[in-house]
Amino acid sequence: MAEPRTAPEQSAREEGLEFLEPRVHGEGFPMAQVFGYGGSLLLTFGSFFLVTRHLMPPVILLAVILTLAIGQAALQLGVFMHIRESRGPAWQLMPLGLAFFIALGMIGMSIWIMMFKAGVS
Amino acid sequence: MALPGWMLYLIHTLFPADTRRPTELGADVLIIATGAILFYILIIKGRWRHVWTEWITTVDHKKIAVLYLIGAIAMLFRAGVDALMLRTQLALPHQHLLSALEYDQLFTTHGTIMIFFMAMPFIFALFNAVIPLQIGSRDVAFPRLNAMSFWLFAFGALLLNMSFVVGGSPSAGWTAYPPLSENVFLPGVGQNYYLMSLLIAGIGTTMTGINFVVTILRMRAPGMTLMKLPLFAWSALMTSALIIFAFPPLTVALSMTLIDRLFQSSFFTLGHGGMPMMYVNLFWLFGHPEVYIVVLPAFGIFSEVVATFSSKRLFGYEVMVASLVSIMFLAYGTWVHHFFTMGAGPAVNAFFGLSTMLIAIPTGVKIFNWIFTMWGGRIRMTVAMLYQMAFIPTFVIGGATGIILATVPVDYQFHNTYFLVAHFHNVLIGGTLFGLLSGMYYWWPKMFGMKLDEHQGKWAFWLFFLGFWVTFFPQYLLGLEGMQRRMNTYPFGLGWHLLNVISTIGAFGMGAAFIVLVYNVVWSLRYGERDLTGDAWDGRTLEWAISSPAPEYNFARIPVITDRDPWWAMKESGATLANSLSPADIHAIEMPKNTPVPFLLGASFFLFGFGMVFSWWYVAVLGLLCVIATLIYSGFNYEEHALLTADVIRGTEASLGRLQA
Amino acid sequence: MSLPLAQEETGLEPGLPLELADERESIKVTGFWMFLVTDVLIFASLFASYAVYRSRVAQAPGPAQVFHYGPVLLETLLLLTSSFTVGIAIWAMRTGRVRMLFFWLAATLVLGAGFVTSEIHDFTSMVGQGLTWHQSAFLSAFYVLVGTHGAHVTFGIFWAVTLLFQVARRGITPITARKLYTFSLYWHFLDIVWVFIFTFVYLGGKIG
Repeated sequence: MAEPRTAPEQSAREEGLEFLEPRVHGEGFPMAQVFGYGGSLLLTFGSFFLVTRHLMPPVILLAVILTLAIGQAALQLGVFMHIRESRGPAWQLMPLGLAFFIALGMIGMSIWIMMFKAGVS
Repeated sequence: MALPGWMLYLIHTLFPADTRRPTELGADVLIIATGAILFYILIIKGRWRHVWTEWITTVDHKKIAVLYLIGAIAMLFRAGVDALMLRTQLALPHQHLLSALEYDQLFTTHGTIMIFFMAMPFIFALFNAVIPLQIGSRDVAFPRLNAMSFWLFAFGALLLNMSFVVGGSPSAGWTAYPPLSENVFLPGVGQNYYLMSLLIAGIGTTMTGINFVVTILRMRAPGMTLMKLPLFAWSALMTSALIIFAFPPLTVALSMTLIDRLFQSSFFTLGHGGMPMMYVNLFWLFGHPEVYIVVLPAFGIFSEVVATFSSKRLFGYEVMVASLVSIMFLAYGTWVHHFFTMGAGPAVNAFFGLSTMLIAIPTGVKIFNWIFTMWGGRIRMTVAMLYQMAFIPTFVIGGATGIILATVPVDYQFHNTYFLVAHFHNVLIGGTLFGLLSGMYYWWPKMFGMKLDEHQGKWAFWLFFLGFWVTFFPQYLLGLEGMQRRMNTYPFGLGWHLLNVISTIGAFGMGAAFIVLVYNVVWSLRYGERDLTGDAWDGRTLEWAISSPAPEYNFARIPVITDRDPWWAMKESGATLANSLSPADIHAIEMPKNTPVPFLLGASFFLFGFGMVFSWWYVAVLGLLCVIATLIYSGFNYEEHALLTADVIRGTEASLGRLQA
Repeated sequence: MSLPLAQEETGLEPGLPLELADERESIKVTGFWMFLVTDVLIFASLFASYAVYRSRVAQAPGPAQVFHYGPVLLETLLLLTSSFTVGIAIWAMRTGRVRMLFFWLAATLVLGAGFVTSEIHDFTSMVGQGLTWHQSAFLSAFYVLVGTHGAHVTFGIFWAVTLLFQVARRGITPITARKLYTFSLYWHFLDIVWVFIFTFVYLGGKIG
């Protein structure tokens, strides 16, 4: 049985898209995972603490805990999901970035649209 | 003789009164006749084994393309007949050929089928036929997933078409706005059919989107960087990205309606805090990108066709790419223009009115670039090129009326009138359908190894083009005179009479064009001019460098790409492919193996959908279990590929005259 | 020779973990990322609906009255921990420690099952109090958003069980490594979604 034959792919530099250059994580003792776990607990229970203590006005509080949630998402993507790992350019970066952008737009705009500011509803 | 109770229940559920009208009985006769013909071919003539091994279990992108094309043409027929019935009903005032309910059902299935089961599969047919060849690949990234997408589309289409004769058609329009589409107003199974068939086909479409994004990003031949990618492949990439981002909101909106209907939740109901307009918001979050999903491939096709038949390099490649990308982005920021009259407030409406007008800029850039490509070229007026020439003025007018509709105060006047109907048919037929037909004539030699007859093709073209304008220009005027969309009849004395007669005549002109088109295809399959060179049109891109139709493995050796028009550059340098490969160049190739999994998965989903439509939970659960069983079987099956030996490939290449003796 | 021919490579690319070193499998990983993109948008649509329906409580109780924070904190702890254990499982897979892989993956599944059990218990007790999704648009949006996440977790558990059988039979090959790796991506992704549910739905409900 012959090995499957594959044509070599374009590198990120050949594409002119250097920011897609892949990065593979090492195989040593997974300290990053341990710290990531600690960090994720800290972020999530930290926001719970902030909410129960009523330290700030509601709007600012909501903004702060949403920021903490976004930080948590970034942590999961970076530490656990190894978002830059790939064979050839890390193509997933662009669609994922776009997805989070569109998701935020979709949620924010839907709230804006469905408020019916015209007062005719 | 009294029938047993369960049989009466079945008859009343499956064949209620609105499936026992003359039109439905006519359809029954047609279905039984088709079934008899299929039975004769498959069983009596013993062709089922061939059909099973070569077509139903295939994972070859070129064969899946043919299956998609057959499905799309069949659906064009079905939805076209719907349209002719609608136009016949509207030809004269105060006519009652169709009841109001029948009229509602027909415009619902006409719209739904044309968008989801005609335009989409037609686009996927061309993607499948062309993209792997254009980027120098042996298949798509996920061949098995590709077959699954097809069978989910096919069984979804079957489910929707079945509604006409079994249980009753949906009748809330192709957008199916609640609260009309809720149980309170439409208690039958029709809307369930609509929801389940679109959900099932939607899964397939999403998978196709993923498949082509990955194919184009990861499977290009060496040297073909993104900025050397042919424009049709660029448009496929942007279309697939739009599919990935746009179908999820549709899935969510449809699922919520389904849960409302079957399990009494309160998303879009009138009581309990439900909010029907949220459906409209989610639907158009999908619906507007969908408009670009169907039109971007046409832009890609025209970019290939215009360069080939002008014998010139495409004008302004980088700008064409940039405008495709910016249309992709802008497509997500305009959805509210479909419901300005909801009254979301002046700030919201102004924002979305402006963002809508912005899209005209990249589109205008593309129009100019096509014209500049033709400028000074040696133009050949083939059928594919004729559609391109007809597209430019038609689409410009359609786009201009779109800008009129994007002006919010004006939209309050035109909303849901025939002006709107004329506008979107103007862009969907003048843009999408002309593009797809142009692509079909252009790539037909590559798909089937023979040309479609040009003389007959020109007849079909002129009938289509003139029929289109005769149908839809009067509808703009009708809209200005206040005729509302979706009204099943109208009284005398409003001045709409003559324009409606003209419009109906045009519709029958397009019907005639369809008949000529089918005749053209059937005639050409038998007597058409064979294409022995593989380069039927003196083409420019990579797909024309291999024989027609392409061998199973597409490329015996993957080429290195150095130019944007690699095949043209090679012909310019005087090189030829005849006897170019030496036997030592050829190695064994691993190709994906045929599998019944996709077909079985589609059938299981069909069973699940059917059970959900009639709320027969045992059937639905059984279907779901079949889906899971198929997936587990597929997961444990590691023998996905088979080796094509070097000797077999040498034999094929020698018979194509490409191997050194 | 007219068109230059590409030098086609064979075998695994050096310097990469198994699931990425094999080209065909690495393409499937890219494909899975694209699937996750569609799932991001599914959840975004559900979050958008929840945001709009949050205040549409009709005659039924609102967020402040219906949420139980005890079970929710427990679920959060379970899911965050399972995200950590599946991360360790993938590290074990990449360093070739099969027994360790089994242990950490099994731990992940137990934690996941605990999460699902707690959530089902929470939902049934809510329904027992008469809080069905028929009551209000807010409850409909809440059940469907949180329930879709729960259904994803449940599906993930069954998926991983079939993977354990495959690894037991075939060991760590490019194919099984890719399957485990994509499962881990899926699991971490569900963790991200849960963090947003916790923040936006539950904590947001407390803020009012």
